[in-house]
Amino acid sequence: MVVGDVTTSTDVLVIGAGPGGYVAAIRAAQLALDVTLVEKGEYGGACLNRGCIPSKALIHGSKLASEAGQAEELGIYADPTVALDEMINWKDGVVDQLTSGIEQLCTAAGVNLLKGTAEFADENKVRIIHQGEGQGSESLKFENCIIATGSRPIEIPGFGFEDERIVSSDGALNFDTVPDELVIVGAGYIGMELATVYSRLGSDVSVIEMLEQALPSYEEDIASIVRKRAERLGVDFHFGYTADSWAASDGKAVLTAVPADEAAHDSDIELTADRILVAVGRRPVTDTLSIDDAGVETNAQGFIPTDSTCRTNKEHIFAVGDVAGEPMLAHKGSKEGEVAAEVIAGEPAAVDYQALPAAVFTDPEIGTVGLTENEAANKGMTPVTGEFQFQASGRALTANRAEGFVRIIATKETERVIGAQIVGPEASELIAEIAAMIEMGAKLEDIGSTVHTHPTLSEAIMEAAQNAREKAIHRRN
Amino acid sequence: MVREFELPDVGEGVAEGELLRWRVEPGDAVSEDQPVAEVETDKAVVDVPSPVDGVVEELRAAEGEMVPVGDVIIVFRVDGEDGPKATETAPADDTTAGSGQQTEVGATAQPAEETQSEPAITQRVQVPAPPSVRRLARELGVDISSVADSSSGRITEPDVRAYASPESSTQERSSQQTTAAEQRTQQAAPAQSVSPAQTREVVDRETTVAVPKTRHIAAEEGIDLDTVPTDEQKDGEPFVTLEAVQEYAEAQQQAQQTDRDAVVERAAADEPARPESRKPYKGIRQTIGAAMTSSKYTAPHVTHQDEVDVTALVDARSTLRREAEAQDIRLTYMPFVMKACAAALQENPQVNVSLDEANEEIVEKQYYNIGVATATDDGLLVPVVENVDAKGLLEVASETNEKTQKARERSLSPEEMRGGTFTISNIGGIGGEYGTPIINQPESAILALGEIKKKPRVVEADGEETIEPRHIMTLSLSFDHRVLDGADAAQFTNSIQKYLQNPNLLLLE
Repeated sequence: MVVGDVTTSTDVLVIGAGPGGYVAAIRAAQLALDVTLVEKGEYGGACLNRGCIPSKALIHGSKLASEAGQAEELGIYADPTVALDEMINWKDGVVDQLTSGIEQLCTAAGVNLLKGTAEFADENKVRIIHQGEGQGSESLKFENCIIATGSRPIEIPGFGFEDERIVSSDGALNFDTVPDELVIVGAGYIGMELATVYSRLGSDVSVIEMLEQALPSYEEDIASIVRKRAERLGVDFHFGYTADSWAASDGKAVLTAVPADEAAHDSDIELTADRILVAVGRRPVTDTLSIDDAGVETNAQGFIPTDSTCRTNKEHIFAVGDVAGEPMLAHKGSKEGEVAAEVIAGEPAAVDYQALPAAVFTDPEIGTVGLTENEAANKGMTPVTGEFQFQASGRALTANRAEGFVRIIATKETERVIGAQIVGPEASELIAEIAAMIEMGAKLEDIGSTVHTHPTLSEAIMEAAQNAREKAIHRRN
Repeated sequence: MVREFELPDVGEGVAEGELLRWRVEPGDAVSEDQPVAEVETDKAVVDVPSPVDGVVEELRAAEGEMVPVGDVIIVFRVDGEDGPKATETAPADDTTAGSGQQTEVGATAQPAEETQSEPAITQRVQVPAPPSVRRLARELGVDISSVADSSSGRITEPDVRAYASPESSTQERSSQQTTAAEQRTQQAAPAQSVSPAQTREVVDRETTVAVPKTRHIAAEEGIDLDTVPTDEQKDGEPFVTLEAVQEYAEAQQQAQQTDRDAVVERAAADEPARPESRKPYKGIRQTIGAAMTSSKYTAPHVTHQDEVDVTALVDARSTLRREAEAQDIRLTYMPFVMKACAAALQENPQVNVSLDEANEEIVEKQYYNIGVATATDDGLLVPVVENVDAKGLLEVASETNEKTQKARERSLSPEEMRGGTFTISNIGGIGGEYGTPIINQPESAILALGEIKKKPRVVEADGEETIEPRHIMTLSLSFDHRVLDGADAAQFTNSIQKYLQNPNLLLLE
């Protein structure tokens, strides 16, 4: 790439430096392609700056504070006070360390970095609009393009984020002080994670959810463990209500919620809050790209449909990560980024994972991979399941964290493992073992016969696999 | 209700198809059996009909994408339901559950009952093979799910290689059984040119005597003293001089340089900078390739060639053509040849056969279905006209016209290309005389027709011989020498000649 006032060109243009884009850029550079990565904001995308990473930092900080104050059972007496601004500063330090790391990795790999917003001029050219008035723009021709523009929080009518009292997850990760009263709209994973954080830090948290269950996309026996724990932390749930409107009153916000189903509830409810967090989902960012000028098609929800090589309807334009559709997970984006880069370099790559792990960092954590029992049955398989409760795990008891269980799903005829759900301590880490096992085509016996370290939480996985074969030692089969 | 629709097995037993074209877009209302997509399998282009009345919610495959049978390609919202609300719950592990507002964005969310919009994942065919093996399969162009079908256990790298090429894997397996020592020698075999160092004896002593300086130089050059050849001895132990080390080091470097040069040379030879472009070898083109390769290498082809005087046929056709036009039928020479072939096959039943190698039987067919090789933009397709013997000339003509047209439009169904007992390929339409056509298996013979040209020929009439311009057509009959011999082919060709020389005989058919 030659930078000047003429149109420059590059083999691979990557738009967006989130976990999909930066991975694609680095991999493409490793494969000896000339790569240009355009980013309008911070390196690392929503994941590092406004999502996974900062939320995990606050989850850790709030957990430490709350557990230190609740360990009288263990003979520990403490009354921690939290200076939220200092915790946020620490979190920002972590984020800065990681984002500058991304930038260094890209530079070291030989990726050309450009700051600005990319807009397609046609299917082989973008304009890069530099930040700030009068900073001008430059044009860039590309052989191949990888769109990795990610997603942004969905706004709901009447709850615009202009007013400082109404925040998305972005704002909720940067409060100056712990709000006395926090209302969260939406009991999905973002709502539940932040409900956990702020109730641990001392907020009175109320959650409104249209459906009758928290974490509605998870099985009821998993979601209810998390909900009960949140209720014990003091979170109030209002299921079956939708947020209708809000009004300012004495500097606070008063939210009116109406029944989602008139038959179930007969009256509206009013909730007062210092802050209202709207966490009803995320939508793809495809509206800023002039994507039509490239001839790239989007579907009704704004996602860019792609095939198993991450190609869009245009042979030379790829899309990865949130913008390419559900599930919106950083690691899915990274995998797709690698695949797109390798396909461009002519390698036989494809998105062909057997199962995609996912984690929710609530208390306790949830880790899932592959199919649930119901999904397997709906696909015409005959599933067998094995379970093991952490109540029977020595390690869970010694950590004073004995809620939850491991469930493993396999097919009856081959005993091949096809999925798992874990709710309990460190579920987000434990799920990795089963993901690897599924990816390697393991059977129940392979997991059950693998020696697991004692005493660890991972033994629960071995026991669950053995239970599916009616061979578990530490429970009745 | 959301209804996910998986790509059905649109041919019989195809594993995947290329999604050529969507005929609907998200938001379109569709009724049951309305075609929603065109899918090209290795056999044909097929319309995929909608299974329900409803609204297209989402297209899950891109045009041009190869879709395995069983993958969800489209999602319908069945009538009587609202579209999704922004507030309904999102799939697991991604978007947050909603709280209940309609937004102008369609939602990224779905109600909990239909959670997990993980089409790409949960709909994936489960294959018991680790990522490295799946990648190898793609590299070798092997369909991993077919390998899975042929083995009950976990798929390994050797399984995939065996599937890709049965022979190489046998070698691989047998080499696995060779002794470790043998393997070492195999690995040690020089891959490139023999270098000076390699021509010398390979030495590996227990101990070697040398002065410190020699040891130092050897270490610098990365040379193990025990491997340096020497005839000298000191105190009864092998002794290596500094010169010997330097000479050895030089030989090693030379050998490495020779190898490097060879690599550079090969790389240069690999990449001439010539203007060329590439396009994928797939779909129908690839299928033709596979079929032709298989035919050529399983059936010993012999091509019997002859010519036939078709002057009478040219006259007959020009008379009948007007009759046919009155009925809106275009009459070419092809229906005459088809009728002639059907008649000749009846006279020579040994040609109307196929070889069932698995059961070691020759199948003699008492029906006469004739395929007509048709050039299309995508390659050669062969529509089949059934029971040519039982149909009249005009019926054969109109059916042939219809089917060749469908072939060119790519709307032939797989059924319309199956069940042939003999194939005709008319190369003469474009030009040329003789050829060596490749048999369309499982048939046993194929006839290529050359262009009808006026040529001087000796004509006998009333005991007089004269040279006259005659209409001559060439015949090239390739046959499978496993089931037919030259005499069969010659007799069969003579029968064809008889009917084409004197088309009136076809009236008796």
